[in-house]
Amino acid sequence: MDKKYGLYICTGCSIGDSINVEKTATKSKNALKIPIVKSHFALCGKEGVELIKSDIATEGVNTIIVAACSPRIKFEEFNFPGCLVERVPLRELAIWIQEPKSEDSQLAADDYIRMGVMKAQKGFIPEPFLFETSKDILVIGGGIAGMSAALEIANAGYTAHLVERENELGGFMNKLYKKIPTTGQYKEPLIVDTEIDKTIKEVEENPNIKVYKSAKVEKTDGMPGSFDVTISSNGNSEVVKIGSIVLTAGWRPYDASKLEHLGYGKFKDVITNIELEEIAKKGNIVRPSDGKDARKVAFIQCAGQRDPNHLQYCSAMCCATSLKQAKYIRQNSNAVAMIFYKDIRTPGKLEYYYKEAQNDPGVMLTKGDVVGVTDAGNGNMFIELEDSLFGKKTKVEADLVVLATGVVPETALDPVLNLTYRQGAGLPDLELFNGFADSNFICFQYETRRTGIFAAGAVRQPMNGTEAQEDARGAALKAIQCVEHIVKGMAVHPRAWDLTYPDPMMTKCTACKRCTEECPFGAIDEDEKGTPFYKIGRCRRCGTCMGACPERIVSFKDFNVDMIGTMMKNVSVPSEEDEPRIIVLVCENDAYPAIDTVAQNHIKINPAVRFIQLRCLGSTNLVWVADAFSRGIDGLLLLGCKFGDNYQCHFAKGSELANYRLGKVQETLDRLMLEADRVQMFQVAIDEYSKLPAMIDEFVDRVKEIGPNPYRGF
Amino acid sequence: MSEQIISPDLNFVKEVIASGGESLKKCYQCSTCTVVCGMTPDKTPFPRKEMLYAQWGMKDKLVSNPDIWLCHQCSDCTAFCPRGAKPGEVLGAIRKMTIKKYSKPTALGSMVSEPKSAILLFAIPTIIFLIFVMIQGHFTEGVPRGEGGIISFSKFMPPIPYIDFLFIPLASLVVLSFVLGIKEYWSDMSKSCGKAKGGDINKSIIDTIVEILSHKRFKECNVTKDRKISHLLVFYSFIGLAITTSIAVFYLYFLKWESPYPQTNIIKIIGNISGIALLIGISMIVSNRIKNKDKAGMGSYFDWLFIVIVYGVGATGMFAQIFRLLDIAIIAYPMYFAHLVFIFALFAYAPFSKMAHMVYRTTAMVFAKHIGRDKIA
Repeated sequence: MDKKYGLYICTGCSIGDSINVEKTATKSKNALKIPIVKSHFALCGKEGVELIKSDIATEGVNTIIVAACSPRIKFEEFNFPGCLVERVPLRELAIWIQEPKSEDSQLAADDYIRMGVMKAQKGFIPEPFLFETSKDILVIGGGIAGMSAALEIANAGYTAHLVERENELGGFMNKLYKKIPTTGQYKEPLIVDTEIDKTIKEVEENPNIKVYKSAKVEKTDGMPGSFDVTISSNGNSEVVKIGSIVLTAGWRPYDASKLEHLGYGKFKDVITNIELEEIAKKGNIVRPSDGKDARKVAFIQCAGQRDPNHLQYCSAMCCATSLKQAKYIRQNSNAVAMIFYKDIRTPGKLEYYYKEAQNDPGVMLTKGDVVGVTDAGNGNMFIELEDSLFGKKTKVEADLVVLATGVVPETALDPVLNLTYRQGAGLPDLELFNGFADSNFICFQYETRRTGIFAAGAVRQPMNGTEAQEDARGAALKAIQCVEHIVKGMAVHPRAWDLTYPDPMMTKCTACKRCTEECPFGAIDEDEKGTPFYKIGRCRRCGTCMGACPERIVSFKDFNVDMIGTMMKNVSVPSEEDEPRIIVLVCENDAYPAIDTVAQNHIKINPAVRFIQLRCLGSTNLVWVADAFSRGIDGLLLLGCKFGDNYQCHFAKGSELANYRLGKVQETLDRLMLEADRVQMFQVAIDEYSKLPAMIDEFVDRVKEIGPNPYRGF
Repeated sequence: MSEQIISPDLNFVKEVIASGGESLKKCYQCSTCTVVCGMTPDKTPFPRKEMLYAQWGMKDKLVSNPDIWLCHQCSDCTAFCPRGAKPGEVLGAIRKMTIKKYSKPTALGSMVSEPKSAILLFAIPTIIFLIFVMIQGHFTEGVPRGEGGIISFSKFMPPIPYIDFLFIPLASLVVLSFVLGIKEYWSDMSKSCGKAKGGDINKSIIDTIVEILSHKRFKECNVTKDRKISHLLVFYSFIGLAITTSIAVFYLYFLKWESPYPQTNIIKIIGNISGIALLIGISMIVSNRIKNKDKAGMGSYFDWLFIVIVYGVGATGMFAQIFRLLDIAIIAYPMYFAHLVFIFALFAYAPFSKMAHMVYRTTAMVFAKHIGRDKIA
């Protein structure tokens, strides 16, 4: 494509009052050789947009640089199909954060326009990566979450393949005697039929749902839009083409045999909450040891949960479950249910359930640490309490003890998905989430670290059946969104609009495998010779591979190593020695919106800095350090998301990898004989905008202290 | 640290609920009540632990616990309770159950505490006094007048043999019931709280009496702080009426001087002042209860029965006097008759009605001071 450039400068929103637009326009025309440079007082208005459109039609302009406001707004106004559009955030970065009508402001405007033009020169119009896709959705696990997801998918007009390990659908709901009313109204009776058979029937009769019972996912090959999933069922195995996957594999109760101190295995009448359901289903609540009616039933909450030696987390559903089971006990009006808890946790409307259940005179509760279950000598047991509300060391006699055991996600025990990915068969880094298939993406629920695979229900987080149904709906919608994006060749999330994709120049690949190891989403596999190849459907377009590649062969149509390097090289370097010039590489997800917020509040930022937006700090290639410093830049600052256990990186590992790479930058700096402090990385959350100016000042002051870059003027 | 074994008693829980503690089960042990309570000692404070004991049916921990009497039911706890568990009312119910347990015969206790026996309670004295009236032939022969032809209640119902022969043995039984009750209660409290550590019992008794006379504990209340004046009025009017009765005994048995006495006599002056104070005090109690019902609760049948009896005693006494002086016999005699019925109810049921709080609360306060449990000493 022959590029014909058009630069359009908006003079609205005080831009025209603050800088000499004419001077900037002339400079661009002469120095940057832009044939068409125009300005308008409201470029985003109808007239302004028409101005650009008429140049496209009559002058053949196809590469448009809009020097106006932040690219985070007005994207509909400045959308010109068939043209490469580059947005220069003049208003925010050159006007609002600078002193008005200052030399700094003018200089910043010129710099940002020059960088914008360079970016346009190095960029191309994206073309989507298209391949034959399936829109079928696989649901793994036929419990309440899985059945809900399958029904949502089917009702939305898609085909669901529902894989269930057992020989019937229903999961744990099948094992329950009764459930807590799901109407949100908690009046007697506080226990109602589960009616799971209705849901099972609905699923089995739905023509859009294919159910596989006694089945297992043997292998998941391929990528979103085109997964090849091998499902074995009753000895038969078949390969199904799948677009995306909802993982509702559920949970297992914590292994009570590890709770010997609570008497499990030692006393026949110490049972788990699941075993109590089984007893209740058969009829009266009787003791397993002698079949006599249980009259004094103790419930021990947190039987392993919130205990560093067992499960470190709260299982969310056991408190309400024990209150429900207390009502089972109370069906015998002479029996009492005694609940020993660390804290009763019944969030949301369940608080009303707690209140109602507690109102029963035979449901007795106390806070306390259960330190053991011992023999009372008469066939009964003593619950031994410490730090209880009773004040001192206390024993309570019980004839049946129910351990409210916790939730262990299926993914903690088994890869379930059996992915053929180079990075492994299961979901990665689940130890961060105690084995749950969660991803800690604050803004991206249901997503796992494997694109196109969405988790819901108790496999994602500890939750009850009602919450699991809600969760399943969300995950089903995400799965549908995924298949629709893949069909259009778009990234799934978070760059949900993005048609570009990594396009490596494989002839230069040395098969060092850094990209395959560092890709947070396992999008890159290797062939038999060890040469990496992309599974584009899995890719989220963060550019981590681009940052990782020492040969710098990975590029996107509108984002590549050379592009950013060229932009850096075109930043002006002040002639005065005491005026440093610093480049700040900014993550587009949190740090850049934070800067936008600073600008919207008209808070000033040190004029020494120039910002360059990146998809993710993970795309930072170390060659940029050399690019910047060889041209006389005095300092390089990286602003990215928080990393660590509670990471906020939208691409999971990007900011962490950038930080890791900066650890290796010393070598480059040594070679250039530069001080290590000239390159730093700060973590910033989107709501920390007010701290940003001071953070930047701090860095600028440090660079001033070090002194100017000795390469200035070379 | 000693160990305790708990065996929950579901029936006791139900009993507390039935005795006016129906909000008991709402408590979720947050301890707001103990924090706002101005009465509780700092160490092992109430009423949270009492709420827990009650929820778990731990009868022994409650009825032999002096703390339930250190509570004066200011209802600060009830007003601040985030769950509407009304600890004040629950403790009131437990106090009632304590009275029921220790005052013998217990059958009479059940009768007094149950609304369904209300008619019986008043029917008994009514029948007794009706018989007295009939024996004297008042219905057939009319009521003889006193000296100077005035209405004379001592002619209507002569103290000897009728009134004193009834009330003296009755009072003796009441005293006996109280003595036995106190004895058992003290022994149970000692068992559950441990023997007193050799404190000076006389000092504890004197301190308690001083405290009761001054009503200083009522100052710690916030929600129902108006209660101090009303309770003080009722309390001192009872003392005044006791003095009046003593003078009457002196006049009758030593001076052989029968009523009615002149209005200017000391006995009438003390009696009338006390009577008016009683009526004002009990009216204030009623109005305070109605005013504070949202914050403190309305109280139970047990409370209201006692209020009705006290009101009845005061009002019928006052009216009987007024109609006697007005010489309207048709109202004066029935009024005096009703007065006797209420007096009977006040005395005969004292060990079982809320009247008993006077005795058990005093005992518990002495005990608490004796074991160093009482903060406000």
